[in-house]
Amino acid sequence: MAEAETRPGRVGLAAMLPRDPALAAAILVIWALLALFVIYPLAALLMRAFVADGTFSLEPLLQVLAQRQHRVALVNSLILGALVGVIGTTLGFLVAFTVSRAELGKGWVRLIDIATLLPLISPPFTTSIAFVFSFGPRGLITHDLLGLKAANVYGLYSTLAAESLTYFPIAYLALRPVLSAIGTNLEDMAFSLGSSRWRVFRTVTLPLCVPGLANSFLLLFAASLADFATPLVLAGNAFPVLPTEAYLQITGMFDLKGGAVLSFVLLVPAVLVFLAQRQWVARGHYVTISGKAGPQSAGQGLSPSARWLLIAASVLLGLFIVYLYALLLYASVVVAFGANHALTLGHYKVVFTDGLKAIKDTLIIAFIGMPLGGLFGVLVGYLVARGEFAGRRAMEMASMANYALPGTIVGIAYLIAFNDPPIELAGTALIIIACYIFRYSPTGIRTTVALLQQIDKSIEEASLSLGARSFTTFRRITLPLVMPAFFAGLGVVFIRSMTAISATIFLVSIGWSLITVRILENMTELSLGPAAAFSVFVIVIVMAVTSLIGLLLERMKASLGDTSLSGMAAG
Amino acid sequence: MDSVANPVGIRLTGMDVKFHHRVKGEVYAARDVNITVAPGELLTLLGPSGCGKTTSLRVIAGFQKPSAGTVHIGDRDVTNVLANDRDIGFVFQNYALFPHLNVFENVAYGLRVRSQPQAVLEASVGDILRMVGLAGYERQMPHQLSGGEQQRVALARAIVVKPRVLLFDEPLSNLDAKLRVSMRGEIQSLQKRLGITTVYVTHDQEEAMAISDRIVVMNQGRVVQVGTAGELYRSPASIFVAGFIGRTNLLPAVIRGAAGGRLTLDIVGTAHTLDGAQTDLGSGSKVQCVMRPETIGLTPESAPGTVPGIVRSRTYLGEKTEYTVEVSRQQLFVVQFGADAERFAPGAAIGVALPVSGVQVLSGDQS
Repeated sequence: MAEAETRPGRVGLAAMLPRDPALAAAILVIWALLALFVIYPLAALLMRAFVADGTFSLEPLLQVLAQRQHRVALVNSLILGALVGVIGTTLGFLVAFTVSRAELGKGWVRLIDIATLLPLISPPFTTSIAFVFSFGPRGLITHDLLGLKAANVYGLYSTLAAESLTYFPIAYLALRPVLSAIGTNLEDMAFSLGSSRWRVFRTVTLPLCVPGLANSFLLLFAASLADFATPLVLAGNAFPVLPTEAYLQITGMFDLKGGAVLSFVLLVPAVLVFLAQRQWVARGHYVTISGKAGPQSAGQGLSPSARWLLIAASVLLGLFIVYLYALLLYASVVVAFGANHALTLGHYKVVFTDGLKAIKDTLIIAFIGMPLGGLFGVLVGYLVARGEFAGRRAMEMASMANYALPGTIVGIAYLIAFNDPPIELAGTALIIIACYIFRYSPTGIRTTVALLQQIDKSIEEASLSLGARSFTTFRRITLPLVMPAFFAGLGVVFIRSMTAISATIFLVSIGWSLITVRILENMTELSLGPAAAFSVFVIVIVMAVTSLIGLLLERMKASLGDTSLSGMAAG
Repeated sequence: MDSVANPVGIRLTGMDVKFHHRVKGEVYAARDVNITVAPGELLTLLGPSGCGKTTSLRVIAGFQKPSAGTVHIGDRDVTNVLANDRDIGFVFQNYALFPHLNVFENVAYGLRVRSQPQAVLEASVGDILRMVGLAGYERQMPHQLSGGEQQRVALARAIVVKPRVLLFDEPLSNLDAKLRVSMRGEIQSLQKRLGITTVYVTHDQEEAMAISDRIVVMNQGRVVQVGTAGELYRSPASIFVAGFIGRTNLLPAVIRGAAGGRLTLDIVGTAHTLDGAQTDLGSGSKVQCVMRPETIGLTPESAPGTVPGIVRSRTYLGEKTEYTVEVSRQQLFVVQFGADAERFAPGAAIGVALPVSGVQVLSGDQS
C-alpha cells in the first residue's frame, strides 16, 4: 500500500502499535519470538565468527580464505549451484512445457506428477543412495549392465545429476503456472500472423517465461548452495563444497569458530540470491497484461514430431526417477544389494528395533512442531497482510530469514546461540522443534498472505462492526477462512520435520535423535540396506500424512467455493 | 422488531483524514468535515468517487481514525473508541458476508458476540429473517444466494443487534437497476419503522433524493452543501451542486440591474428579468444562471417573451421528450411533458421561453 496513516498524539512504542490491545500483544509476542529464534542466533553466529576478546576483526575470515581447501570449496559450491540452477531449470521447463502444451494422456501426467512429487517429500539422501545403487562400484547399471570394474560414482557429475533430479521439481512447480498463465491464445495469435512454430516459441513463449526462468534458477541455485546431504554422500574428497566443509570443521575438528566463519562465507551468496530474487524477479510479471481470459484452444504451437520428442523426454525423466525409487525399495528388501539378492525383511527389523528411538523422537518432534508451525505461519501471515504497524516489512523479512538461509548456517547459529546460558537449549527437543518452526513456516506465511489478499478486508470489518473484538474476529472469521493456509503450512513443517537434516544435524543429541541422522550414520557405516529401509519408511509416512492433509484441503476448497492454493510440496 | 426507544444523533466535528502519499506527499481524504445527523434521521453523503464520503462514513464506524477532529455518537465522544465498541450496524458495498457461515450463523454472529442465550438468539434471527423476506433460507451458504438475497442478509445481520446507528456504504451499487429501486424502498421503510439514526453513502443522486431526509453533498474531501433533496435541487449553492443534483443548464449572464426583488440580466443575447432572484452582485457582474430543463418552455414560433432557437435533436422517452435546442450559439437541454411534447422536429425554428422565477443565480467564478 502506498499510503500510511499519520497518527498524531501518540509517541514511542505506543505510536508504532495498533490501538487494539490483542493485536498489539500479538505483534509483541511474534517480535519476541523472532528476536529469540532468528535474530539472536544469527547475531551470535556473527559475533562468534568475528569478535574475539571484545574486538571486531575480519582476521578469521581472511585466515579461512587463505586456506586453499576452503577457497576450492567456495568455488565448487558456486559452480555446482549455477550448474544445478541451469540444468534443473531446463528439466523443469521441459516437463512443465510438455504438461501444459503437449496434450498428454492422463496416465502420463499422473506419472510425471508422482515423479516430481517424490523428490520433494523424500529424505535428502534418497537420490544419492539410489545413485550409489545404480552407478556405484556394485551398481546395477555400471557393474551389472555395463560390466565396469570399480566404477567411480563420487564427484561433481554424480552430485550435479543427483541434485538436479532432486530439485528440478521446484522449477517445474514454479514454471507450470507461468506457462498456463501465458495461455495458448497468445501463441495461436502469433502463429496466425504467419510465424513458424519455432519462431513463436522463441519470440513469444520463451521471452514471457524469462521472469519465471530466472526465479527458478535462483531457487535452485539457493537450494544447491544449501544442500548438505547430497555432497556428503556423493561429492567425495575430490569435490569439497562449503556446507560439508563447515560440518566437518565442527563435527570432525570441534572448531565452532571455524564452522561459523565458513558458514558466513556461505551466507554471502545466499543473501545475494535472496535479494536478487526479491528485487527483480518477484516484481516482474508480464502475464497479466493480456486482458480478459478467454477460452483457450488446445494450442497448435507444437509440430507432431516436436510433441513426441517432448513427451518422450519427459516420460523418460519420470521413468528414471521411478526407477531410482524402485531400486531403493528393492535394496531395502534384499540382504546386501549388489552382493546377495536374497529377499529379507531384516533391514526393516533394524528400523523398528534399533531405529525405534529415532522414529519415536522424529515423530514426536514433527507432531509437536506441526501445529505450532502452522499457527505461527498463519499468525505472521495475518499480521504481515493485515496489520498496520511500523516494522511490518521488517517482520516479514525476519520471518523469512531462517528459510532463505542455508540450513548449515541456521544449524550452526542455533548451536552457538543455545549451547550456553542464558538460553541453554542444546540437547533438548525444543531446540530442534524451534529450528523447524522458524525455518519451515514461511510456506504457511506466504499461503496465508496470498489467501488474505483474496479475502476482502470488509469481512473482518463486518465482524468488528458487529461488536467482536479483534481476537474474536481472528478466531471466528479470519482463522476459519485461512484454514487451508494453516494446513498447507502445517503440512510443510511436517514434511520437513521428517526429512530435513542440514540444520538439525548440528542439534541432535543423545536424548533426541532423528531418522535422517540415522540414515546418515548408516550411510557412513556403509549399511546401505537399513538406510534404504529408513528412507522408504519416511517416504511412506510422509505420503500418508500429506495425502490426508491434501484430502482435507480438497474438502475445505469445496465448502468455501474455489480458493486456489499453491501446492503444499512447493515449500 | 420494535423501533428504537431513544434514537441518538451523530456529530462529526472538524474532521480531517490525511494520508502520506509516496509521490504527492500529504493528501487529504477529508478536510474540516462537520456533519450533524439528527436522531432518527436518514442522512445521505453524496458525491463523486474520491469526494471523502466513504472516508467520513468509515470514521463514524471507527474503521478509520481521523487525523484531527472528533466523532460523537449521542453524547459520547467515540473518537478513540474501537469499532467493536461503538454499537453500530454497517452494511458494506460488497455485503461482506462471512463465506464460511450459513445465513442463520451470519445473522446470529453479532448476537453470539453479545453472548445472547440460544433461545433469544433463535427468536431474534427468525424475526429479522422474516422481516427481510428470507425465512427458510437459514441453512443456505452465502455463495448459494443471489445478489439481492445477499444484500438482505447483510441488512438483517446489521440490524438484528439493534444498533444505535446504521451505516450504509453504497449498499445497492452491485445490484441491477430494477432491484436497486425496490431495495432502496425497502431500506427506507425499514429505517423509518425502526427509527434508527442512519448514514447512507452513495454516488447516485437519484438514490440519494429518493431515500434521504437530508443530503450532504461532498466534493474533494469537503462538505459543499447540506439540505433536503428539494432545497438542493431548487437552490444549489454552487455550480458543482447544480450539476451534480439533477440535470441542468448553466447559462452565462451579465447583471444589468436589480430593483424591488427583480433582477435584469443579459442572457443568450437578450435582456431577461427574473423574479425573486437573490444576489449580492452589482451591475456588470458575470454570473451563471441555473435553469432546470423542465422550466424552459418551447413554442412553435417566436412569440413575445421568447427568444428564437433551433431544434438540434429530439429524444422521445414516452412520458417525456428531451430536446437539445440551440439559442444564440448555446446548447440548451429542455424536457417537455404532455401529449404534444414531441411535436418539434429537429431543424425546426422555434421560440424558447426562459423561466422568469425559480432561477438560481451563481457568481461566475464559483465552482
